[in-house]
Amino acid sequence: MEKLKLPTGVARRRRVVNLIFTALVFLAVLLAMVPLILILGEVVARGAPVISWKFLTSLPTPPEIAGGGIANALLGTFTMVGIATLISVPLGVGAGIFFSEWPESRLSFLSSFLNDVLAEFPSIVIGIFVYIVVVLTTKTFSALAGALALAIIMTPIIARTTEESLKLVPRTLREGSMALGVSRARTVTGVVISTGRAGLATGILLAIARAAGETAPLILTALGSTYYASGLMQPTAALSLLIYTYAISPFRDWQADAWGAALILVLLMLAINLLTKLTIGRKFAAVRAEI
Amino acid sequence: MTIMEMQKGGYGRQVEEKVEVDISPELDRGAAKLETRNLKAGFGTSEVLKGISLSFKEKSITAIMGPSGCGKTTFIRCLNRIHELTPGATVSGEVLLDGEDIYAPNVDSVAVRRKIGMIFQKPNPFPMMSVYDNAAAGLKLNGVRDRKVLDEVVERSLKMAFLWDEVKGELKKSGAALSGGQQQRLCIARALAVQPEVLLMDEPASALDPTATAKIEEAMAELKKDYTIVIVTHNLQQAARVSDYTAFLYLGELIEYGVTDRLFENPREQLTERYITGKFG
Amino acid sequence: MTRLIDPGLERLRHMLREMATLSEQSVETAIKAYTESKPVTEEIFGWSEELNILHGQASDLAVELIARYQPLAGDLRYIESCFEISYGFSRLGRYAYDVAQIIDAFGDLSGCDSGEVTRMGEKVKKMVHIGVEAFFNEDTTAAMGLLQMDDEVDDAYRKHIHRIAVNKITNPRCTVAVTLAIRYLERMADHACYIGDSVVYVASGTRPSLR
Repeated sequence: MEKLKLPTGVARRRRVVNLIFTALVFLAVLLAMVPLILILGEVVARGAPVISWKFLTSLPTPPEIAGGGIANALLGTFTMVGIATLISVPLGVGAGIFFSEWPESRLSFLSSFLNDVLAEFPSIVIGIFVYIVVVLTTKTFSALAGALALAIIMTPIIARTTEESLKLVPRTLREGSMALGVSRARTVTGVVISTGRAGLATGILLAIARAAGETAPLILTALGSTYYASGLMQPTAALSLLIYTYAISPFRDWQADAWGAALILVLLMLAINLLTKLTIGRKFAAVRAEI
Repeated sequence: MTIMEMQKGGYGRQVEEKVEVDISPELDRGAAKLETRNLKAGFGTSEVLKGISLSFKEKSITAIMGPSGCGKTTFIRCLNRIHELTPGATVSGEVLLDGEDIYAPNVDSVAVRRKIGMIFQKPNPFPMMSVYDNAAAGLKLNGVRDRKVLDEVVERSLKMAFLWDEVKGELKKSGAALSGGQQQRLCIARALAVQPEVLLMDEPASALDPTATAKIEEAMAELKKDYTIVIVTHNLQQAARVSDYTAFLYLGELIEYGVTDRLFENPREQLTERYITGKFG
Repeated sequence: MTRLIDPGLERLRHMLREMATLSEQSVETAIKAYTESKPVTEEIFGWSEELNILHGQASDLAVELIARYQPLAGDLRYIESCFEISYGFSRLGRYAYDVAQIIDAFGDLSGCDSGEVTRMGEKVKKMVHIGVEAFFNEDTTAAMGLLQMDDEVDDAYRKHIHRIAVNKITNPRCTVAVTLAIRYLERMADHACYIGDSVVYVASGTRPSLR
């Protein structure tokens, strides 16, 4: 019978090589994590002292006057992202379904390509576009314009993630449904979407997280404000705008507030990501294993 | 009495008559539930089926067999218009259900598929639905809401698929949580729930263990009393066990067709003989 | 390409070869002994016993092949025929023994006219030989030829029965011995014919005698 053991020299060398590679890979991970850890560290260190209930519920005050907060910015971000979501979800999911379920259509092929282009578009250019189309015609900066700009950014992302999630649904499920004498449309709504809904939801949540952090498109559309807006057609504050304005200002307390706002924004994004992973991820993990 | 039974009768010369049991169903058109006439099919420029004319007798089981690549799966997928769902698929010729061509210009393919059901090779229950919902899927997805009707249909279908006893206490369980054999029987129940007239089965037991396979075959023996069944199989013994008629396909052509007993004991074509004695394929 | 079943089929064929040799031998020896009134019972009995054992073994092997390999078509027909032929060989051995026993019982038959027996005996020997060769060479033409020869044997047998039925019997001892011998020979011819049937059956799935 052949020997199962390697000669000791070869074995030892293999073990060493193994260890070196494991160490290198580990190191790479750590290096990749460094920026994230440093950023989080900075933000938490500088932002935490600023956070308080008052901070979250007060309007901004002029520099050097104590007691300023980010209330209007929070509201503004929620409002604009909210409206953008209401616009982009139906459009994006609809487009995604079309790309996935009717791929043979030439319209599908063309729009899918255009969709990918739009998804990579520089957000500042989208901001300029909305400025020209909405702000100039309405003669005012507005939450609506801001929401529209965010919607233009979100829609292609949602369309793409929807398309990809639905494409993951095995063809045999569609065939199984159609073999029962169920129409194609009903197969899509009754079987395909419900099977791929985890991916759909994930895509939507991630698009929301992305939109919440966008700054450039809001500069030219929502402009920002130190007050609560009394309607959708007025300049509106947003977290990202506030961070931008305060961070480049020469005022110490404003800069501190910027760190606070940054921390809130980061926490918001972490919360959305965690929510996605924990609820949808776990609930459907078993099902994904079956598929 | 088949020829095999006469053999067993012994070596004496007392048996006078030779019973001819080879009814050629092509001649028996009156009882043909499903029939194909010069059916051709393929993908893009390649032709997989080169013109198949076969008929399927009502309330019988016909096995379609042949080596890999002979076109048997393509053939069966043409019988309920599932083949055309694949991008690039081509099909021509006629497929007649009770004398009417299902490929005629104004025919609703959705309605065709309600009458001709299909069970796939790999069990494909809807993973997001419970056992109950899976069985009722054909009805629910077509708008049936009446709980009583659904309950009744679900129970009846699961019983016909020999699955009721095993799942009756756990109808809310996810369809995907059953064993492979149970999943396949669930798919059979699901297909039966829409009350088709013909059942197409594409190698229904090939992914299952022998016990599960036996259960499927038992179900088939019962089902053939009410349904016309066409089964694609690469398992010769299974074809011999369950089918009344067998068709042998090779490279897209129909080589031989006849009563199963006769075909397996004394095939007419050399190619058939070589295939079933394992000399190729 | 060797299939899993092929070695088994080879073994079965070999067994039948053995049985064929033994039974041809038995038939020849018995007929010769009758015409020469020589007692050969013990020898033939031994062969007959061996044929029975071999028949059992061949049947067991055939069943095993069917259970294990689930043969179909030509293979299945071949194995079926092997069952029948092996039984046929064992019967040939038995009938040969029966003929030998006539000599034992009746003693010296040199005074009797054994022309009929000799003639039929020659035909039967030839038939058995043709049947055996036809099987191992898969020769359906030769096999079909046996039908005619069997008809001739049957004819001779019927004529003999008719003759002794209508005419006065002058020498009962000879008549009974001859009649018994012819009876056994006619059965041997039948079995040779069955072997021919099997040859045709394996090749075409039909049996000529059952037409």
